[in-house]
This record gives sequence, C-alpha cells and structure tokens, in this order.
Amino acid sequence: MNNKIIRVNNLTVRYGSLEVLKNVSFEINRGEIFVIVGGSGCGKSTLLRQLIGLEVPSSGDIFIDDVDFLAVDKKSRKEILRKFGVLFQSGGLFASMTLAENIKLVLGEYTDLNDEEMNEVVDIKLASVGLSGFREYYPAEISGGMKKRAALARAMALDPDILFFDEPSSGLDPLTSASLDKLINEINKIFGTTMIIVTHDLASIKTISQRIIMLDKSVRGILAEGTPQYLTGLKDKPNVYNFFNRIS
Amino acid sequence: MYYLRFVLKISVKSEQENTIYYEFESDDEQLTIHVPEPLTYSNATHFRVLFDIIDDMKSFKVLILDFSKQKEFDTYLIVFRNSLAQFCLERNIDFRIEHSNDDIESVISLMQTTPTLAVENLQDKSQIYLYFQQVGSIVIKVFQDVYNFISFFGELIQKLLKLIIRPLSIRWQDMPLHFTQSGVMALPITIMIVFLLGLITGYQGALQLKQFGADMFIANLVGISLSRELSPLMVAILVAGRSGSAFAAELGTMKVSEEIDALTTMGFDKFEFLVLPRVLSVTLAMPFLVIICNVVGIAGGLVAAITTLDITTAGYIGRLEMALSLWDIGTGLIKSLVFGFLIAALGCYKGINVKGGADAVGRYTTSSVVAGVFLIILSDAIFTFIFQSIGI
Repeated sequence: MNNKIIRVNNLTVRYGSLEVLKNVSFEINRGEIFVIVGGSGCGKSTLLRQLIGLEVPSSGDIFIDDVDFLAVDKKSRKEILRKFGVLFQSGGLFASMTLAENIKLVLGEYTDLNDEEMNEVVDIKLASVGLSGFREYYPAEISGGMKKRAALARAMALDPDILFFDEPSSGLDPLTSASLDKLINEINKIFGTTMIIVTHDLASIKTISQRIIMLDKSVRGILAEGTPQYLTGLKDKPNVYNFFNRIS
Repeated sequence: MYYLRFVLKISVKSEQENTIYYEFESDDEQLTIHVPEPLTYSNATHFRVLFDIIDDMKSFKVLILDFSKQKEFDTYLIVFRNSLAQFCLERNIDFRIEHSNDDIESVISLMQTTPTLAVENLQDKSQIYLYFQQVGSIVIKVFQDVYNFISFFGELIQKLLKLIIRPLSIRWQDMPLHFTQSGVMALPITIMIVFLLGLITGYQGALQLKQFGADMFIANLVGISLSRELSPLMVAILVAGRSGSAFAAELGTMKVSEEIDALTTMGFDKFEFLVLPRVLSVTLAMPFLVIICNVVGIAGGLVAAITTLDITTAGYIGRLEMALSLWDIGTGLIKSLVFGFLIAALGCYKGINVKGGADAVGRYTTSSVVAGVFLIILSDAIFTFIFQSIGI
C-alpha cells in the first residue's frame, strides 16, 4: 500500500475571473495529522472543499489512495467517500434528526449492521466524544461545543481512513477546544486515522499538527511547508514567521 | 479436552464472497473462541452467525474470547465484545477476554469514555408515563403559543398606536416592496380562483333557481355571497398561503442566522423594522384585492348565468344593482382588512419565534399557514355573528 494517502497535483481553482488557488501540489502521508493554515481568504476552505469532493477544481488532479478522485465513476466515488469522515465548521448535523439518527443514517447506508448493533455503535461513538445519554437529543437542544463533538461522533461512525476538519476549534472555549485536540490525537494514535485539519487556531496547531502547509493570497497557493517548529522559526519568510508568532 | 473446528462461508451485502474461519476450543465447562480476522463492520453478517452457533452449545459455563490473532479491527470489535458479554449475562455464563493487546485496550478505553454529563434516562420511564408526558407537553405548548401570540398581538397594536404619534419610526421605504409582493403579485392567482369560484357558484345556483323559476335571483346569489363571504375568504386563504408563509420563512431564516439578534443589538426595534411594514402592507393590500376579485367573481357568475339561464347581461347587472347594498361590499372589505392584519401578524409571529435550525423554519412556516387559515375562519364566524346581531 502506498504511504501517500492523498496526492494533489497542480490544483487550480477559479471562480469566474477570480483565481483562488494556482497550481497547488502536495502529498499527505497515511496516518499523519496534516494541517492547512493561512490567513482569511487564502483558500483554505476552498482547498478542503476540493479534497472532499464538494467542488470540482478548474484544473489539476486529486488522488486518494492512488485513485483519481476527479475521474472515478459514481460507484468508485462512493467507495472513496466511505473512507472519509468530515467535521464541518458548524457541525452539519441534520436538525430534524436526533443525534442517534444522525449517526445511524451513515451506518445504515454503508454497513450491514442490524438496528441493535447500530444502537450499540451509536452509544460507543457518543461515549467516545463524551456525549453518553444524549442520543435522543436534537442538535438544537445541545450547545455549540456538544454539536461539534456529536458531529465528530458521526464523522467517526464508520472508522474512516481520513478525517477532515474545517475549523474544529471555532466557537469553542479553550477547554473544550483542548479536549477536542486531545481526542483528535487519540483517534490518530489508536486508529492510525489520517487527519486533515483546516484551522488558524495556533494553540491547536501546536498541539496536534505533525506537518503543516501554509497558504497565502499573495502566491495563491502554498507559501511554506513543514513541521510547526520549523515554520515557527522561519524568519526569512516574514508572513509565515509573523503568522506563527502572532506578530501583526 | 477435544478440539472442534467450524468453517463458514457466507456472502455479504457487498456482493463479495467473504470467508471467515472460526476456531473453537471446548471442553465440558469452557468454550474458547479464537476471534478471526478482520473484526470489522464489513464482516458483521458473519459474526452475527456466531451467536446462533454458540447458542446451540449450551453446555459450557465459561466463554473465553481470544483476541490473540486480532490485528485488523474497527469499532465493530466493541459491538461484538459487548454483544457477546450481554449474551453470556443473559445465560449466566462467565465471560472473559484473553490475549487482548494494547491496541485493542486503547480502542476500548477510548470508546467507553465516561460521560461528561449525567442525563435523565427516558428509557427507565414507563410507556404510559411517557404518553401522558407527551400529551401534557403538547397541551402546555399550545396554551403557551396562544398566550405568546396574544402578547405579540398586544405589542403590535401598541406599536401601531405609537405610529400615530411617531409616523417616521417605521421603514416606509419597505412598504412598496411588500405591497407589491403581497398584493400586486397575488393578483393573477386570486383573480383566476375567484373567477372560477363565481362561475361554480353561478352554475350550482342556476340549477336550483331554475327549478323554481327564480332565474333572476342568480345575480343576488352570486353578488351577495361573493361580496360578503366567498371573495374575502378565498383571497385571505390565498394570501395566507403566499404572504403569511413567506413572512414566516423569511423572518424564521433571519432568526436562525441571528440577523434578528443583530438588529436588536444594533438598537433596531424588530417590530418597527420588520413586522409593521409587512403587516401594514398586507392589511392595505387586502381590500384592493377583494374589490378586484368581487368584480371578477361576479363576472364569473355572469358567464354561468347567460350560458345556463335565460338572462341577458343587462338584466344580470340591473338585478345586481338592486340586490347588492353598500353594506354587502363594506362588510367584505372590513373582513378583508382584519384577515390581512391577522395573516401578516401570524406569519411574522411564527417567523420571529422560530427556534432551532432549517427544519424549524419549515415547521413554523407550515404552522403559519394552518393557524392562519384557522384564524381566518374563526374571525369570519365572529364577524357573521356580529353583523347578524347588528342587522347589516
């Protein structure tokens, strides 16, 4: 099995005449926590949307496990999506369903589990994010941090190979954010899940990231790449240095 | 000790032939299951069969799950382990796990984290308790809703009265837009429906009146029933479906996306900024719609009259002039004003009180139409009683 779980080649994204990303290329290793950072409007979320298949880039290739994600047929695409778990910025929980129903929806689609087993998985997943006893609650009945954790439980329902996070710590208090970071590290360590995280929360970046790419508007792509320690000390690139050292 | 080996070959949903080999070791007291690889969701069907197999081996007192071969697994490992533990508990069998490795222990510890918050367990309550609890909460909710609407209505009246003193307090510039959307744009559908209503009333009436030789009274029937009742009622129902629901959805979406909260924190009054322009627009648009629809509906009745009865257009209009009093038209217009006010107020009330997400907007929008139609019929009944009592 190839160690590179995701390969992105010359990815370009244009919205009309506006070019957000230009010839972006990078690779993500299996089992690593890969963080995408950058200032507002640099294309972080745009890049994530291409990776999870919500948008089709103007040009370029995305390979997931050596399969061309942009060229696969519907069936193969679904098999690839089976490997994904996505935690959206606002959670993306279905408001008309309870937390249990949100998780069971995915399990019912992709597994042969019977109702009893699905209920067991729901309890396990909710317990793993500290939400035991909330299975019959609707998203509107729980707090923002709990919504995020419930959404993570749903994203983890199928034990995906790759977990994508869009701003996981946004709207969370430092303690909840730290506990989420701890959970991300544990899942990565125990299951070997590849984590791709879009964030600009420096505390989170320093706690969880193993490798980082920093996007910047000026280059419409990757300005720097490396470990958090390397980028924090990168004095010859002021934009990077200032970002990681919070210098305005 | 004797040694048993079972081999199962089962096809799974994914249409792939999968083979799982189980190994059992057993003596009279003890059954050891060497759990095969991989213990994953995709093999759930195979593992479920295991329960039927061991259920037939009732003699053992201890069940040992041997994880020594386990390298590939996912959350299903815990489901499997828990199901077996439950299975043993129900049959009074001692359950043990052997050769569990660090990876398995880590997964188990991660997946069985202690809950952070204790929550009321509804499953402990009886079905009857839950039924009455649900009925009770629905009744309380209905009363609360009525109470809240009356409070909202009172506040709305207060703001309207305040408008007389401070006429510039509301956003008059929004009025033409709302008037156009609620009134002018509702014209095509209301005209079509009320014309057909006039036509139907005319045809149905003509069949009956012809039997008594009272052909000329078709004008009375169509004119009075449309002006007093049918036209205001039908227009109100259509406006409730168009504008009432639109207000609920629009304001509901604003509520969910915190736009109304933003307005409040910026010092704007949501009544003056959002509610009053909408309510006034619909209230003022309704009489215009009803007048136009009266004419169109009477024209529909005329078509029925001249095609089924021996009546001329001039005769129909002449009879209508005699039959229709100003009060017949006036009562319809008074009703339309009130209907418009109620529809818009209810739509805004529902929108402003949306709680939750996108689904809540849908629920409140539906509720605005249902409650709107109910309010229209209720107020129409009250009007009929009042007008009868005072003889108009």
